[in-house]
Amino acid sequence: MASDDGRLEERPRVVRLRQIDPANDSFRITTRHRDERLELSLERIGLLTPPLVVSAADGLAIVSGFRRVEACRRLGWETIPARVLSEHTPAYACALRAVAENALARPLNLIETSRALTLLEQHAPGGRLPPGDAAALGLPAHAGLAAKLKPLCRMPPEVQEAVLEETVSFAMAGELGGMPAAAAAAFARLFRRLKTSLNKQREIVTLVVEIAAREGIDPCAVLGDPALAGIQGGEELDRNEQTRRIRRRLRQRRFPALLAAEEAFQALRRRLKLGDNLQLSPPRDFEGARFTLSLSFENLEELRSLRDKLDELAGHPDLHRLLTGKGTGFAGAPEP
Amino acid sequence: MSIASLYVDRQVADLPETRRICSRLGMPAAYVENAEQLYADLAAAEDPVGSGKKRLFLTRNKGAFLKECPGTRHYTCCGYRILHIGSYCIMDCSYCILQAYFHPPLLQYYVNHEELFRELERCFGARGIQRIGTGEFTDSLIWEPWTELSRTLAMRFARQDRAVLELKTKTANIDGLLDLAHRQKTILAWSLNTERVIHSEERGTASLGARLRAAARSAEAGFPVAFHFDPVLIYEGGEAEYRQVVDRLFDAVAAERIVWISLGAFRFMPDLKAVIRKRFPGSTIIYGEFIAGLDGKARYFKPLRMQALRSLAQAIRRRSPTTCVYLCMEDDEVWRHALDVTPAERGGLARMLDEAAVKHCGLQAEAGGR
Ligand code: SF4
Repeated sequence: MASDDGRLEERPRVVRLRQIDPANDSFRITTRHRDERLELSLERIGLLTPPLVVSAADGLAIVSGFRRVEACRRLGWETIPARVLSEHTPAYACALRAVAENALARPLNLIETSRALTLLEQHAPGGRLPPGDAAALGLPAHAGLAAKLKPLCRMPPEVQEAVLEETVSFAMAGELGGMPAAAAAAFARLFRRLKTSLNKQREIVTLVVEIAAREGIDPCAVLGDPALAGIQGGEELDRNEQTRRIRRRLRQRRFPALLAAEEAFQALRRRLKLGDNLQLSPPRDFEGARFTLSLSFENLEELRSLRDKLDELAGHPDLHRLLTGKGTGFAGAPEP
Repeated sequence: MSIASLYVDRQVADLPETRRICSRLGMPAAYVENAEQLYADLAAAEDPVGSGKKRLFLTRNKGAFLKECPGTRHYTCCGYRILHIGSYCIMDCSYCILQAYFHPPLLQYYVNHEELFRELERCFGARGIQRIGTGEFTDSLIWEPWTELSRTLAMRFARQDRAVLELKTKTANIDGLLDLAHRQKTILAWSLNTERVIHSEERGTASLGARLRAAARSAEAGFPVAFHFDPVLIYEGGEAEYRQVVDRLFDAVAAERIVWISLGAFRFMPDLKAVIRKRFPGSTIIYGEFIAGLDGKARYFKPLRMQALRSLAQAIRRRSPTTCVYLCMEDDEVWRHALDVTPAERGGLARMLDEAAVKHCGLQAEAGGR
């Protein structure tokens, strides 16, 4: 590797687990957690690949092998074989090793990629990751993509979890990344529960952010609306129904007049008793002036009956209210 | 806001208007061979939209000076003609469409006035009434401190009887015009809004009081005046505040002097939303109940704007039942609700406005016109 001078001294040694600082996560790339199979394998077969550690002022810091060290600790081992880098090893060289030992063993997920890029950049000479090093490690070399990836590992844990379990896409994570941490975490918690599509997530985010901006409150306060909590607590509702109701509730708050007019319109339309073969649609968002009436029929008899229905409709006071009531948002319509 | 940099297109460096403006501004000019470079530099600025307000570029209008108002077929347009004297503005309204209209937006002033006046002459020779305004791509009167164009235009319009010039502004820069023998062929017009909106959304503009005082002085000097409630914003308590503005307007200016009053609810191209969010983070105007209009612009949900415009129109009618009130870019349904009439019932909006211009500005209506 271009930036690795290849003269890293890596000594095999048996080290005491007590010497390894469990809180030092400086070089952690992996997002994987405890895996009992690893403990089982260690117990039966032993530690095949010794972790890589570096001497630090107060003991040893893990460079690669976090899960292995944790598993050994849980098994109650006191010593383990390790590969030890000298305390003079440059931090960037350690970072390269940390990334290489993960990235070359398995594909990194988005958070790991983000951690790898951030770690390397943090220690790279001049703060700039040489593109050749990124490419050699299989990391994205495209500056734009790398810039979008890097903030991921600094996002609240809830967002990172949601990205890992793919309930929040990379695109949505980018949007959440621009928000205060509490709001981003609140959205991530909601989306992990709802497991809904990116489009619906976007709609929810836009509605919440715009309501908050208009009302001069925090997005968390909008998400904390007891009515929303009630919908999520509704045991009998499946996720799709919860999502639908949450969107509706938010739209009601964001567009109260539009939603009220829609409901009033629907109530009036129901009173017309149009039946299955007649459909009356308002102009989109009530903006245009033209309503659409569509008829469906199979035979002349049905057509004649529709004609009679149309004659009846033409004199129906509720149709008149539908056609002329826009200025008041169909106010005075019967309760939906 | 003041001009921080002056750029002069090398091709117009020797025109008299260029020299006059440079000397009045009294600042060094950078001579520009290639305007593209100027645009590229501006586009690279941290806030191109804000920076463009401080960089003045004197150049030539390479296109037509007179343009048709860009109406759309879905909403009724007033049939106005735009005299394209320059573009952009030194004031800074959050809702200003010009922020998203030019890429990048730059304060440009066209100095090839010979061509401008040649075009105007041709226009004056045409049949029918012409209503011409300079306030579409810029504010008509921001240029007064450095140029005398409005004055020259007003004098030129005063020498004919077929066209009327409307100078639309949010400034009070009328001192250079009041002594003119204008023969009522120049309408001085103010965009009005509530104190709250002016304070929160119209940075660098004259206060409501200053605009109304300027209007009153103009009316006293015999100018026909006009007012534009555009954009009307819908907010809690807004209707009452707009009614107060109407009262202040009629307390300041005699109704007989008013040629027309237009009302236009806030509408915007979707691109503007991101600009407002970025440049005016405290503004909440984009969070109203907007839907996508038939022309692609975001518009208030129709029943809301019908109600807001009706309330405002009624307030005007109460003070002056005969003043010509019209709606800007609305359809018949909104017209009927707000004004109890459609343009067609009055022969069309263009005709309504022509008649108002004939009445107040002494234009000679001519058979076979528009
Ligand atoms: S005064 Fe008119 S042109 Fe100037 S910024 Fe405001 S809206 Fe735009």
